[in-house]
Amino acid sequence: MLIYLLRRLAFAVALVFTVSSASLLLTRMAPGDYATEALGVGGGRARVEEMRARYGLNRPIVEQYRAWLAGALHFDFGRSFAYDRPVADLIPQRAANTAILAVTALAAATLVGLPLGIVSGARSRGTLTALIRTGSIALLSMPPLLTSLLLVFIAARTGWFPIGGMRTGASSSVDIVDLLRHLVVPASALALPIAAMFERLQSQAMREVVGQPYVLAALARGVPRSRVLWRDALKAALRPIASVYGLVVGTLLSGSFAVEIITTWPGLGSLMLEALRARDVYLVAGCAATGSVFLACGTLLSDAALALVDPRARE
Amino acid sequence: MTRRLGLLLVLIAVVAAVTAPILAPHATDDKFPGLLNAPPTLPHVIDESGSWRAPFIYPWTLADRLVQRYEQDRTIRVPLVWFSGGHAVGSSGEARAPLLLLGADSYGRDVFSRLLFGARVSLGLSILAALGSVMIGGLVGAVAGYAGGTADDVLMRGTDVVMVLPAMYVALALRSVLPLVLAPFTVFVFLGLIFAMVGAPFISRGVRGIVRSERGLEYAVAAASLGAGHVRILARHLLPATRGFIAVEMTMLVPAFIVGEATLSYVGLGFPEPVSSWGTMLHDASSLRIADFPWLLSPAVAIFLFVLGLNLVLQDGREGLGYERPL
Amino acid sequence: MGQLLTRQPRKLARNRAIVRTATVIAAVVGAVLSGGCRPGNNANNANNANNANNGGNGGAGAGGTPARGGELAASVHTDPQSFNRLVKRDSTSDLVASLTHARLVRLNRATEEVEPWLAASWTRAANGLSYTLKLQPNVTFSDGHPFTADDVLFSFEAVYDAKVDSVLADSMKIGGKALKVAAPDPLTIVVTFPEPFAPGVQLLDNLPILPRHKLGASLKDGTLTHEWGLGTPVDQLVGLGPFVVTQYVPGQRVVFGRNTRYWRRDANGAALPYLDRITVEIIPDQNAELLRLDGGQLDMTATEMRPEDYATVKRGADAGRLKILDLGVGFDADSLWFNLKPGGLGPKDARAAWLQHDGLRRAISLAVDRELFANTVFLGAGVPVYGPITPANKKWYAADLPRVPHDPARAIVELASIGLTDHNGDGRIEDAGNRPARFALITQKGNTTLERGAAVIRDELKKVGLTVDVVELEGNAVIQRVMSGNYDAVYFRLTATAMDPALNPDFWFSSGSVHAWNLEQKTPATDWERRIDEVMHRQTASFDEGERKRLFDEVQKIFAEHLPMIHFVAPRIYVAVSTRVTNLTPTAFSRPQLLWAADTIAVVH
Repeated sequence: MLIYLLRRLAFAVALVFTVSSASLLLTRMAPGDYATEALGVGGGRARVEEMRARYGLNRPIVEQYRAWLAGALHFDFGRSFAYDRPVADLIPQRAANTAILAVTALAAATLVGLPLGIVSGARSRGTLTALIRTGSIALLSMPPLLTSLLLVFIAARTGWFPIGGMRTGASSSVDIVDLLRHLVVPASALALPIAAMFERLQSQAMREVVGQPYVLAALARGVPRSRVLWRDALKAALRPIASVYGLVVGTLLSGSFAVEIITTWPGLGSLMLEALRARDVYLVAGCAATGSVFLACGTLLSDAALALVDPRARE
Repeated sequence: MTRRLGLLLVLIAVVAAVTAPILAPHATDDKFPGLLNAPPTLPHVIDESGSWRAPFIYPWTLADRLVQRYEQDRTIRVPLVWFSGGHAVGSSGEARAPLLLLGADSYGRDVFSRLLFGARVSLGLSILAALGSVMIGGLVGAVAGYAGGTADDVLMRGTDVVMVLPAMYVALALRSVLPLVLAPFTVFVFLGLIFAMVGAPFISRGVRGIVRSERGLEYAVAAASLGAGHVRILARHLLPATRGFIAVEMTMLVPAFIVGEATLSYVGLGFPEPVSSWGTMLHDASSLRIADFPWLLSPAVAIFLFVLGLNLVLQDGREGLGYERPL
Repeated sequence: MGQLLTRQPRKLARNRAIVRTATVIAAVVGAVLSGGCRPGNNANNANNANNANNGGNGGAGAGGTPARGGELAASVHTDPQSFNRLVKRDSTSDLVASLTHARLVRLNRATEEVEPWLAASWTRAANGLSYTLKLQPNVTFSDGHPFTADDVLFSFEAVYDAKVDSVLADSMKIGGKALKVAAPDPLTIVVTFPEPFAPGVQLLDNLPILPRHKLGASLKDGTLTHEWGLGTPVDQLVGLGPFVVTQYVPGQRVVFGRNTRYWRRDANGAALPYLDRITVEIIPDQNAELLRLDGGQLDMTATEMRPEDYATVKRGADAGRLKILDLGVGFDADSLWFNLKPGGLGPKDARAAWLQHDGLRRAISLAVDRELFANTVFLGAGVPVYGPITPANKKWYAADLPRVPHDPARAIVELASIGLTDHNGDGRIEDAGNRPARFALITQKGNTTLERGAAVIRDELKKVGLTVDVVELEGNAVIQRVMSGNYDAVYFRLTATAMDPALNPDFWFSSGSVHAWNLEQKTPATDWERRIDEVMHRQTASFDEGERKRLFDEVQKIFAEHLPMIHFVAPRIYVAVSTRVTNLTPTAFSRPQLLWAADTIAVVH
């Protein structure tokens, strides 16, 4: 078990390394750099050159990469040009914001999608099943961008929920109620399609499991239907969800660009996009690295979940 | 029943894409400068006096250019003409009163025509890319899940890298090494490749998981002991178990790709005129404006209906397949 | 002279010369620059006369004194790059400086007059080169430290310091030479220009006055350039402006609180500013910004409205939530220019013979229907323009400039005169070697007026046989191509940073960094650029306003003849603001249109 964990850890480190290196190099290759971004068309060549020199952007790409790498080994991930502070200072708060959003969305999606899937999977007929099924197929058919636009639009028109940012006004104290109100729109935008996906996956798995001989046997032995359903069948039917769960966690955490931008949620996704726009290379690499850490955790979680519900997947 | 509805929706989209040059009253870059954001010209069959007429439309006259308000000129009836000039239907007074079944966009272009032509690009791109994802992801996932061990590790970690690296970085860097002016076909190919790569990890992870657990089941073991080759076991016994999963994933990838095309247009990988696409059309209908110009949302409706059709077809078609197969 | 500019995303603020900016997706952008001299703008407050010129209805509420207190929510598209205005030129840094610092004089963006600010009055010496300024007495910094002439000396030392390498330095020099500054007593400053400079003290509007007691030590040890970065605890930031920074959350907001020691008072003797707090939210996406404005979470946006948003905002205005201020014609128009650097298209590009020829640009100006352009791009809310100075700049606009008619027939003749005709009857014109006349026009993705403008240009030029490939790139990619001269043609917006052309030398002089079609030339590449250089030089040095106007008319005439940039339409500027905001002094000249005079803005509460 320890070896298994160590191996996973090594893979995670390799992932972080590869992804952050790739994003740093790709951003360097993109047209323009921080100097052109900061100075604009009228910056003047001399000043642009000076600025490049000041930020070390005039070095060959390999040298810049090597220097960054050397720093990263000592947990110095460089300084953000645009925000003028170490990347390592900038990211935790944004990552936390994204995590708040992602965890809320995931919890909502799980709490809604899973039970609905069990209900609709356990009985294949009935108005309720049809209703759930229609709802989730409709939701699955909506592009996520559209879901967010519609939610934002509805919130703006009705004024029921705030549509931007994380908190009202400038208060720095954490007001849970205020935060929750701000979470409603972005978290729903993220959660609805996922809930629909969970519902579908769960429903199908459930239907299949319910038809399995061991379930029928349990019923025949006189075990109450609800107990069979919620204990025995459920566990087996969790497999498909467990296998995508980590993936969903990882992708949610590594940044949900569209939703964060539309709702101006100050998370990792919008930070990454701003950094890319400004060609803030070290920040780009830092954001990508954080995203990959999340993903690594997500896959680990996914494997663990899978192992929990499906002993066969254990090594 | 629902499956038939799904098939119908998909079929309509495909037919629309194929027959766009005939069905569309206009070309994608025909512009009517006096009709920016004009509302739809609905065909009427009953005129002001209540008598029946051959289908006709009323022209719009501009009431306020800045707020884009138009008024219907009920004094003039412009009859529709059928099968003339290579188009199935059109207005008899094109210049003054073009037929705008779904209104006009902010350039004064016919939304309906752009929707039909856009179906070609959007459906073609998203379906091809989704199939590409399935092929790449399926192969990677199957090999990883079946072989296990080092191959599994290498492939799945590679998958993780692709999954977490934003496509926009790749597109941006790629754009800088491409020529300044890109032909629509080039854009199509590059977008297709990028999307296929981006979608593949989602497929491969699930496929690997399923193959992995199915491999240990009695039927697979039995097949192996009967001397079936690896490829045969994979193709004949294990991969069919992934069908349900792939179907769900496909229905998520297709709309994501349709919309994603608009996102990548921001880093320069967008289709040049006169190509229209649903993603870009949807993007142009920005949030608040949908209240004032709801017809600009028609690409959203088109995407929704098409994906809904896809969902209905795939979800229903899948019943009876999947996990119970081993029994 | 330098210029400066700021890049900024869509918001740009600066004033000065001609600059432009681009924007990108999220906002991107850049802007450019300007002219020479003046960088910053920013203003701080306005005087309390609140009349908007230009017909804006900004007026104060019901006649009486504006209400004191309350808070305001505004927005910007990007984070500031620094709290140290000396080292960064982006529009948000500029806005921060204008809210937290003060300068010696202020150019009133609404009245276009230079007003006393920290300097209560000034006189010009007989030689025209030096000015004696009397400072306001009893002014203190936001930390209670008294302000004296020594702080002014310090600010000049800092801006000219080689180690600081200030982005404002060029804008504070005349012909590359620094001003001399002396302080005979704690309330008197004598500024001496190195050569005759017509705009005079207006130049001082560029320089925020910084506290020596806070920054003096770091100037001495050469670390001033690193001072007051974004990581500085906000209570360390000290200024003379109406507000102080009370909170900065990267990527989210900058909060400003009232500077209780601010020296200005309104006409009734009440202390300014009226507002207790301004929260500036950082919202990169313009749609998101508009939603929040409409939803009542913002009182004003970073920039003017996009024409396509008018209908939406109008709905909010009809419902009483918002009001729309019509600020009249804007000072900047988007423009099309070609790469005119000799050999700039590449040594083997045979298109240079026609692509860099004046005739092509004259033909384009004739071929594009400006009325159609205004209707399509600005929904009718724009006026045709034929040069970089729009009718909004009443003082400097050359009203007698020839109005280029829409005349495709003449355009075709003009194209034939440079060897472009339709040899093979395919409806497209070709050059003498039978190669199609075709060029790539770069513009910025995500900026809807640029996108629509480029589309109109392409369609109009197609009618005379020219083939244009419009390429929409991300903002930084556009800037990079312009700066490296790697393009055929660009359609973009440069934003003027000053109304007075003498303050925009970077645009007009061939050596300038905003001389976009051929940047920073060592010697003028063409005769007409040499002539513009000469005339601008005389124009800058003359103290005779009539002569300056005449000379600048001549410059505009030369410009119109050779059309290094083709301008089509200048938009009308509309600003949306919540109805609870009163006592506004809007300006069509620069962004931010409202917050430039933040100390007199009030809210109903």
